[in-house]
Amino acid sequence: MAAAGGGGGGGGRATTSGCGLKRRYAPHDQEEETMNQDQSSKEDWCGRLWNGMDLLKDVTENKHVLPTGLEGIDTLLGGGLCQGQLTEVTGPSSSGKTQVCLHSASHAAVKHMGVVMYLDTSNSFSPSRIATIIDGTNDLSDQRGFDLPHKERLKTMMRSIVCKSVFDIFGMFEVLHQLEVSLLNDKVKSGGRKICLLIIDSISSLLAPIIGGKYPQGRSMMISVAMILKKLAYKHNLSVLVTNHMVSAGNGAVKPALGESWKAVPHVRLVISREHGSNICTATVLKHTLLVFPLAI
Amino acid sequence: MGEQSGKFLLCSHYILIFAWAQNAWDMLSDEQSQKHITTGSGDLNDILGGGIHCKEVTEIGGVPGVGKTQLGIQLAINVQIPVEYGGLGGKAVYIDTEGSFMVERVYQIAEGCIRDILEHFPHSHEKSSSGQKQLQPEHFLADIYYFRICSYTEQIAVINYLEKFLGEHKDVRIVVIDSVTFHFRQDFEDLALRTRVLSGLSLKLMKIAKTYNLAVVLLNQVTTKFTEGSFQLTLALGDSWSHSCTNRLILYWNGNERYAHLDKSPSLPVASAPYAVTGKGIRDALHTNLREVDATEQATTVFLYLNVWHILHSQIEKQLQGGQLPIGMDNS
Repeated sequence: MAAAGGGGGGGGRATTSGCGLKRRYAPHDQEEETMNQDQSSKEDWCGRLWNGMDLLKDVTENKHVLPTGLEGIDTLLGGGLCQGQLTEVTGPSSSGKTQVCLHSASHAAVKHMGVVMYLDTSNSFSPSRIATIIDGTNDLSDQRGFDLPHKERLKTMMRSIVCKSVFDIFGMFEVLHQLEVSLLNDKVKSGGRKICLLIIDSISSLLAPIIGGKYPQGRSMMISVAMILKKLAYKHNLSVLVTNHMVSAGNGAVKPALGESWKAVPHVRLVISREHGSNICTATVLKHTLLVFPLAI
Repeated sequence: MGEQSGKFLLCSHYILIFAWAQNAWDMLSDEQSQKHITTGSGDLNDILGGGIHCKEVTEIGGVPGVGKTQLGIQLAINVQIPVEYGGLGGKAVYIDTEGSFMVERVYQIAEGCIRDILEHFPHSHEKSSSGQKQLQPEHFLADIYYFRICSYTEQIAVINYLEKFLGEHKDVRIVVIDSVTFHFRQDFEDLALRTRVLSGLSLKLMKIAKTYNLAVVLLNQVTTKFTEGSFQLTLALGDSWSHSCTNRLILYWNGNERYAHLDKSPSLPVASAPYAVTGKGIRDALHTNLREVDATEQATTVFLYLNVWHILHSQIEKQLQGGQLPIGMDNS
């Protein structure tokens, strides 16, 4: 089962998912039976074989970009959050990470791109803030002043944002598993609105109690969460946005939390920061798989 | 036919996801019917969006003597204001790590709160008091559950026990921890372990706030940090703890006035407001040119603040007032 040529990453991902594991545990006669069945079930075991042209067609037609609604961030991201990719936003406290998440959720709701799933670990999901962002400059406190169609539109948009609070890593595994099951059940049907964006704010606060120390279980849980997220993003064409926080790196400098193993996980990493007393945030790209920045950090 | 099946698929997809999560529209109507806990000062309530929010963890930090414990006690009293007077009518849990909870002061603040209620609602005596809370300071004190803890193991234990306690006492609407950093600043050699323990604590507090629909208020101390070539005041427990709260309020001195600065909030802009600590508790600050010095009130305030903590740290405050503003803020 050779991997697809050209295309590189897509082909590699297609063969790793089910192939090796299933063949190891399937008894010998069952494996022969599988070989004799038609092409579609072979694909279920080992994933689909892609060639370069198919991949290019898939990327240009199916993999859209979800803009966050914040111009500066969209420029840095090359349009927005890519479907099928994991984007990380990191930064010191109160630098605007939650605002980036809320803006992305609102923008996806306003443009009717699909259902947004928001997993919140610090009770920072603010529905009134979402309503304010959706309305633009309208003041939400004067709700009686809304005309009926406007309120109905707001209601439809806000109903496509779904929020769940998770407070420990096992709860997170459970939520992701339930999401995977519900997406798999709907996979054979077409139509309806599917999830387009999964936001986790913040994944580092769930991982902080278990990472470090002399036992490696914390790091293995972090890697397995990463693998599940990337699998969800790839298989169901989601964009995944996670936030991370900063820790001290010695000599007063700061670095993103979660360590060296996490650095390879997201496809795009952004750092944002805010000066004291101002409302302007600056964003810097740490890593991007598609765009090349002349000033590499 | 196709349209109908499309609608059916839409509903079924929603049912699957919505069975275990809430959508933003329902949360919005929940949020708008939430009452906030008033702090006693109108300006402070304004920057906080009405007061301290339930279901959120608020961290309040500041130099010693600026009024953190006073604010904590005021909130523990204000949460008990009955529903008919605009409050939450709940009880309070006060976890004291430093021993700064002075019962005489709590009694005084409770009296001040009751006096203000009676001023605003002059006909309250005529109402029937069958299920109503009696407006007596003793009743206010009786509804504060006080835990005194003396080490970090006790602190971890009490937060683990809180879930069971709150399951039995469902009318608690605020948990104040004063101060959350005290026992973790000494005795901890392994900083990585401290980070793990504190992150676990903060997640538990978040869960308690959300599950039991109450406000969690954490009072924090300040420490000095060497950044950019100078010593700056920053909240204790390091960078990783600063992500463990939903809102952050920093109390600082600006000349002779006390100010509060909202540093972190998911829905409110960054803002500052002045407040004052009076004999009756936390109230709005009077402007200097309008201030009428009430001799007895001032004497009471001075008496209550002349404890050892204040004497030790008043020297530090004097140095700060001359130099940089605390927490590196530019208040231009």
